[in-house]
Amino acid sequence: MKTIKRNSKLTAYNNWGYAFVAPFVIVFLIFSVYPVLRTLYLSFTDLKVMGDAHFIGLANYIRVVTDKFFWKALWNTVRIWTVNIVLQLGLAFLLMMVFSDIKYKMAGLPVFRVLYYLPNLIAATSVAFLFKTLLDWRFGTFNILLNSVFKAFGARYSPIDWLGTNATAGHTIAVIQSWMWFGNSFIMLMAGVQGISKDYFEAAAIDGAGRWTIFGKITLPLIKPIMMYVAITSLIGGLQMFDLPFLMSETASASYGSVQTVMMYLYKFGFTSGTVQTGYASAIAYVLFLIILSVSVLQIRLFNRKEK
Amino acid sequence: MKMKKLLSLTLVGVMAASMIGCGSSGASTSETKTSDQTTSGSESSSEEKAEGSETVASNGEKLVVWTLASDLQQFADKYTEETGNEVETVVIEPADYPTKVQTALMGGETEPDIIVGEPQMLQDFYDNGFFADLDELGAKDYEGQIVDYVWKVGQDADGVQRAISYQITPAGIYYRRDIASEVFGTDDPEEIGKLFADYSTILDTAKTLKDAGYRIFASDSEINYFSGDSAWVVDGALNVSDARFDYMDLVIDLYQNDLTAYANQWSTPWYQAMSGEVPILTAEIQNYEDDSVNVWDAEAFEEATADLEKTTVFAFGLPSWGVLTMRDNVGETSGKWGVCSGPAYGFGGGTYIGISSLSERKDLAWDFIKFCTLNEDTADWWIEKSEGDTVSLISALDKHKDDENSIYGGEKLYSFWLKQAEGIDYSKVTKYDKVIGDAWGAAIGSIKTGQAEKEEALGTFYDTIESTYPEITVTR
Repeated sequence: MKTIKRNSKLTAYNNWGYAFVAPFVIVFLIFSVYPVLRTLYLSFTDLKVMGDAHFIGLANYIRVVTDKFFWKALWNTVRIWTVNIVLQLGLAFLLMMVFSDIKYKMAGLPVFRVLYYLPNLIAATSVAFLFKTLLDWRFGTFNILLNSVFKAFGARYSPIDWLGTNATAGHTIAVIQSWMWFGNSFIMLMAGVQGISKDYFEAAAIDGAGRWTIFGKITLPLIKPIMMYVAITSLIGGLQMFDLPFLMSETASASYGSVQTVMMYLYKFGFTSGTVQTGYASAIAYVLFLIILSVSVLQIRLFNRKEK
Repeated sequence: MKMKKLLSLTLVGVMAASMIGCGSSGASTSETKTSDQTTSGSESSSEEKAEGSETVASNGEKLVVWTLASDLQQFADKYTEETGNEVETVVIEPADYPTKVQTALMGGETEPDIIVGEPQMLQDFYDNGFFADLDELGAKDYEGQIVDYVWKVGQDADGVQRAISYQITPAGIYYRRDIASEVFGTDDPEEIGKLFADYSTILDTAKTLKDAGYRIFASDSEINYFSGDSAWVVDGALNVSDARFDYMDLVIDLYQNDLTAYANQWSTPWYQAMSGEVPILTAEIQNYEDDSVNVWDAEAFEEATADLEKTTVFAFGLPSWGVLTMRDNVGETSGKWGVCSGPAYGFGGGTYIGISSLSERKDLAWDFIKFCTLNEDTADWWIEKSEGDTVSLISALDKHKDDENSIYGGEKLYSFWLKQAEGIDYSKVTKYDKVIGDAWGAAIGSIKTGQAEKEEALGTFYDTIESTYPEITVTR
């Protein structure tokens, strides 16, 4: 009898737990679960902007996979992301190596950490306008500076339309993305390095291991989980790239086709007047979700296999 | 130790690079527009009500107007002055306008009461049920009072009146009478119109003018307003008529044979060309891939164009609102201009006013629309206030048909525009025009600048239409 009483008391007490999590669960259901399910439903309909949505089966999905502009946009996204991640991680890695070197014992890490992180604090809109101004074909500081340098050497400089030509637009955006994000990756990697016990480094140094050996045999294997985290989050963020390419390109520009990312393509059908097809935009969103999911799983497996 | 110094220098370098953004962002933001939206509350007491006014009293309620043309703000101020009804006008950038209206109405907002649209936005607005039925409020009683094509643009696919514009925007060719007399021996609009009768004649006219030391246009976009003489979509199929290809060839010829002054439309040199001589920027100067001449910095531009031939531009192709653009830019050439017809009837822009289907003040909103579009006193006031905008109210146009415009050598522009407007066939306008037109423009642009071969550019054009509108049948 006693046990039953205690249990019912406990149950009543536990019920308070539901009350405490209820606000989060309600908000989560309304703002996360519902939109996700609603988008899934819409992706099987022909809804344009308002009005009735008719079920059309997999038609939108078939359209996405056979739409060459979708694949072009995906290719653009991957191309921009690849250049970006190589530069971003490369620079972060280099800085991490310098700051974690036990022989150099570089001073001022907290200051540099803040300074490198600063570009990440500027709103993407400001970054876009800033670089659009700096990189302007005719009046931009970059071209003016390059022109002065060429002039000083008696050469003639042909101004480069950084954001206006197919050859440079994507790479330019990738470099700016790297500039924005390398500080973030650097902090992550440094956190990983600082988590490694100093004993390993000292023992290795006493055993006569060189800088590269220590880096290759101790640092690198031990920060792998962090590297994986950085790579996966960057990939997920990278495949959803929107703000910079969107703000720095113009639909009328000749280079637009080379910087239109999947999210920009989705935006065209989700929100641009004249082309709004909500059902199709939803299907693009789900195909992108599936792509990100597959690539992330693949990435985790690859990392795990290497570890084994 | 040396290594450490080198490293320190590198680190500082990286730091400096990251600080570029922090230091300069202030300058960058200061160059951007500080405000996309301006709100103006036009308040006035009911004591200011016009005598004998048949307008609806607002009962202290405020009418909310979302517009993309600041003109409507002046109408709202005038309306408040005349009726005492309070109006809040929000001016929104055209690029953001459809999204904002869409978000507000899909979110069930009962404000704004008045929404507007340009012709290319309207079909979507109609299809989505954004505009209230004006026929229910009595719009049918006013049929025939507004220029026909404007009345029809304001109707949805079922012929229900949804919006009305206070202006007409037929396109015309604005030309220099003095150059016309010198080169062609006449400055008569009828005769000059013949020089723009079709695309091949325009090319001949361009060559004649070039031989005489002039350029026919400042940019190669001047004929754009006249290029819509056939519908882009007929019975659900993409229709690229021969005239579209002729237009494409004309633009390419104008560009590649240096027949224009190479000033991009709406750019500073383009406006400058309205007031006199400008340097002829050759295709080589415009082509940034060619390293022979720099045109990107003011000093280099002066240097590069110093030895270049200067020219005077003969004509501009603009809708009737171009009268206002020209008025502000012709400078000393005022009085030397004329306006004639182009190769086809066309129109560009125009602000169409309607009532939000969710508005709770429809009667008041309808009163405001009638005031802006169907009231002769308002039309008279606007003609004077705007210094030459062309209204859509037929009685007002009739009243002003003999008005002479001094900038255009005393030409009677209102009767000219009315005649042009009568030729416009709105049935050729489709809701796909903006997107298809832009894709066509992109194809022309890539061919003329040599970025793509004709076949490749056309392929991209067809692919774009197919992928954007699967419901349109594309035959290549």
